[in-house]
Amino acid sequence: MTPMLWGAGVLVGLLALLAVGTPIAFALGLVSILALILADGWGSVSILGETFFGGLASFGLVSIPMFILMGAAVASSPAGKDLYEALDRWLNRVPGGLVLSNLGACSIFAALSGSSPATCAAIGKMGIPEMTKRGYPNEIAAGSIAAGGTLGILIPPSVTMIVYGIATETSIGRLFLAGLLPGVMLTALFMAWTIYDCRRRGVGLDMLGRRFSFRERLEVLPRVLPFLGIIAAILYVLYGGVATPSEAAGVGALFCLIFVAVIYRLWKLSLYSSLFRDTLKESVMIMMIIGASELFSFALSSLFITQTIAEWISLLDVNKWVLMAIINAFLLFAGFFLPPVAVILMTAPILLPIIIQAGFDPYWFAVVLTINMEIGLITPPVGLNLYVINGIAPNITLGEILRGSIPYVGCMVVGIVLLCLMPEIALWLPNLLMGPAL
Amino acid sequence: KASHQWPGGKGDVRDEMVQILAREVAKADVGVEIKVYPGQSLFKANEQWGAMTKGQLDISAFPLDYASGRHPQFSATLMPGLVRNHDRATRLNTSPFMDDIKKIVNDAGVVVIADAWLAGGFASKKQCITSPETMQGQVTRAAGPAFEQMLVGAGASISSMPSSEIYTGLQTGVLDAANTSSGSFVSYRLYEQTTCLTAPGANALWFMYEPILMSKRSWDKLSKEQQDALMAAGKVAQDYFAGEAKGLDDKMIKTFKDAGVEVVEMSAEDYDAWLAIAKETSYKNFSENVPGGEDLIAKALAVD
Amino acid sequence: MSFYITAVSAVSRFFGLIAMVLTGSAALVVTHMVIVRYFLGGSTVWQTEYVIYALVAATFLGSPYVLLNKGHVNVDLLQLRAAPAGRRILQTLSALAGISFCALLAWSGWVYFHEAWSFGWRTSTVWAIPLWIPLLPLPVGVGLMVLQYIAEIIKIQGGAR
Ligand code: NA
Ligand code: NA
Repeated sequence: MTPMLWGAGVLVGLLALLAVGTPIAFALGLVSILALILADGWGSVSILGETFFGGLASFGLVSIPMFILMGAAVASSPAGKDLYEALDRWLNRVPGGLVLSNLGACSIFAALSGSSPATCAAIGKMGIPEMTKRGYPNEIAAGSIAAGGTLGILIPPSVTMIVYGIATETSIGRLFLAGLLPGVMLTALFMAWTIYDCRRRGVGLDMLGRRFSFRERLEVLPRVLPFLGIIAAILYVLYGGVATPSEAAGVGALFCLIFVAVIYRLWKLSLYSSLFRDTLKESVMIMMIIGASELFSFALSSLFITQTIAEWISLLDVNKWVLMAIINAFLLFAGFFLPPVAVILMTAPILLPIIIQAGFDPYWFAVVLTINMEIGLITPPVGLNLYVINGIAPNITLGEILRGSIPYVGCMVVGIVLLCLMPEIALWLPNLLMGPAL
Repeated sequence: KASHQWPGGKGDVRDEMVQILAREVAKADVGVEIKVYPGQSLFKANEQWGAMTKGQLDISAFPLDYASGRHPQFSATLMPGLVRNHDRATRLNTSPFMDDIKKIVNDAGVVVIADAWLAGGFASKKQCITSPETMQGQVTRAAGPAFEQMLVGAGASISSMPSSEIYTGLQTGVLDAANTSSGSFVSYRLYEQTTCLTAPGANALWFMYEPILMSKRSWDKLSKEQQDALMAAGKVAQDYFAGEAKGLDDKMIKTFKDAGVEVVEMSAEDYDAWLAIAKETSYKNFSENVPGGEDLIAKALAVD
Repeated sequence: MSFYITAVSAVSRFFGLIAMVLTGSAALVVTHMVIVRYFLGGSTVWQTEYVIYALVAATFLGSPYVLLNKGHVNVDLLQLRAAPAGRRILQTLSALAGISFCALLAWSGWVYFHEAWSFGWRTSTVWAIPLWIPLLPLPVGVGLMVLQYIAEIIKIQGGAR
């Protein structure tokens, strides 16, 4: 059988397994091992354990559960509510002020969490009920949180950037820096759309919200300071020569646990068991997908599918922007069905050499890839953020969440276009602080 | 199937060695075709050994020390100061020391096709590393536990990270110094982040055995003619490597000098001082914990 | 039947708890490592390895608990649209796929563990702990996945009656 035929077989098998609802990790794993058994015989099973274990036993991956734990610790405190309430006092006279506060809170929380669903949950738990209470349509309330939550993987720290860094042997610290300004840019685009949309619909000039005096606005600032303090501390640990990203993640996690206990005086055991449960659910899910992706890329490479596809793409003699458009379309498509970590692990090793050969920067590409993945998080059938919002706001239908997030998908596409026109948005900061890349 | 961990098609000497093997075998026209999977595109570096012993991987260019968890004797192939320089490495290949090592390799179900010893050095952004005293207080990334033990013995502190993170580690200040192979020093552009390089020269502490290996199960499936062709191809690859190994060091020295980095070498006294520390740390550990360890070290040091 | 479900679920919860403790301990140990190296200038021998293996163990041991809580993300578009009978079939098929993979992985992991145990393999680091210790959570956790999946199938079939 030719590699392309094997590739088609693996794809069909994978889609069939996914369609019946097999968890993504096990679908990836099963289709890989079946292909290997068919090609090389039962002996292939003997390497399954070592490959899966080896895929997980890496110090770089330590940062994933740790950054998730860090976000979960802050999310379990009233921190999210404090954050957007503080912002609300400053923004409530702007059309859509409360939505803007929530988007802002999402972007600040994203700097404390490596994952998007966690960002969604942390801000949405308080933010969505408050928005609907003050008369915002369900669509805007849910859509803005779904979109704001996606910033979790763009604004550092980011689980997907970590995975990309490990898969492509690029610097994780540098990837984090590359995501920062694009994250701010997306936040601004989201906010600009919100102001326009609210004005257009004539909602959101908060008649229910009262006018705050300047003094009241100043009063609330100290409540935001602890977050900014933690963010500054983590940046210092990361870029001040104290520790590697994995170590910074562990220190940050412990720091946030202590912070929640001390600042908010939360000592209930149930709180800690629920935050560790949330951490475990998300990190185990991601880590199992990572282990299975390891098998999947092993199978693709062993059957020479990866190499054949890469060769095929490099023979496609097209303009580099056409190539980029094709790759974007492909990533978007994959993102509809698969969570970010799986897409990155499966495609980055194939795409990166092609990207570099075409003259694109690998750090810039990481940002474009991440925004593509963000879109995938708020589109069906697998949109983790949609599930989260469905969970925290059961009275809002999936359709309403979807309709609400579509305009923000538009904002992200605009973001990608801006990044293509001005790669400096991603590259300026890392180049400034870390010098030119390798 | 041949697998290794270095970038493919970019002139890496170890990749080239495997490619030569594949080309030579193809040229011999004995019905053997070798497909090369570079850059860990098939197996992760550490998993190659297990895959070969199980017959799931045929050939690998493999740093033997990676399997030292299974065969602790292999630590001797990344033991500080046992090799000293390239000429001695060549003599070592045919010594009783290597006979012992290869016997363990064979008993584990793996065949050596071609020998290769790679040199390496130290680089620091704080202070040139020559005598053990210069190591004091430097946070260092070391390749392998035997080196870690010796460096700690000299007063360094160790930070573990994959070689791909060394650059960032030096840049952000997590690391003051690093210890790795000549090839990695160049490919990871560590000259941009360091001020002083300790090149291998006549008294190098860092040598690593990275032979081309073959699974015994795959080997036994070949005919005599095919085996001979493979061994002949291995010889060509080995000779190519021997010619290039010193070239790797020269290239490193030139790149670092061009980047304005100071380049030093260890003197014979420095080397002896390090050996004294190694005897108290890594050698001692090795002799105490590894069956036949003391004997192996004695045999290696006996080579002149 | 319901006894089986209760028992397996209890075991999964127990290992889930262990996984949470391991995760918490990793944060403590990483911080300890950074303090020792950066603030005290000392060397760290065992911390890196402990953290890696603790989190790998947390992944395998916590996986059955995550399955119990439907935390392994999947594409449930078809399942949601299907009629109850069709949904049960789809759910059973997906569970069978999950079981097949977990059984193969657990078996292979068991063989790997057993080799490490009987040949006395160690990790190739300064700490050099016996390799079977970090390998044990793989067959245990993924083996328990098989048992937990059987419980899930019983639940699915129970829904038919
Ligand atoms: Na983030
Ligand atoms: Na999606």
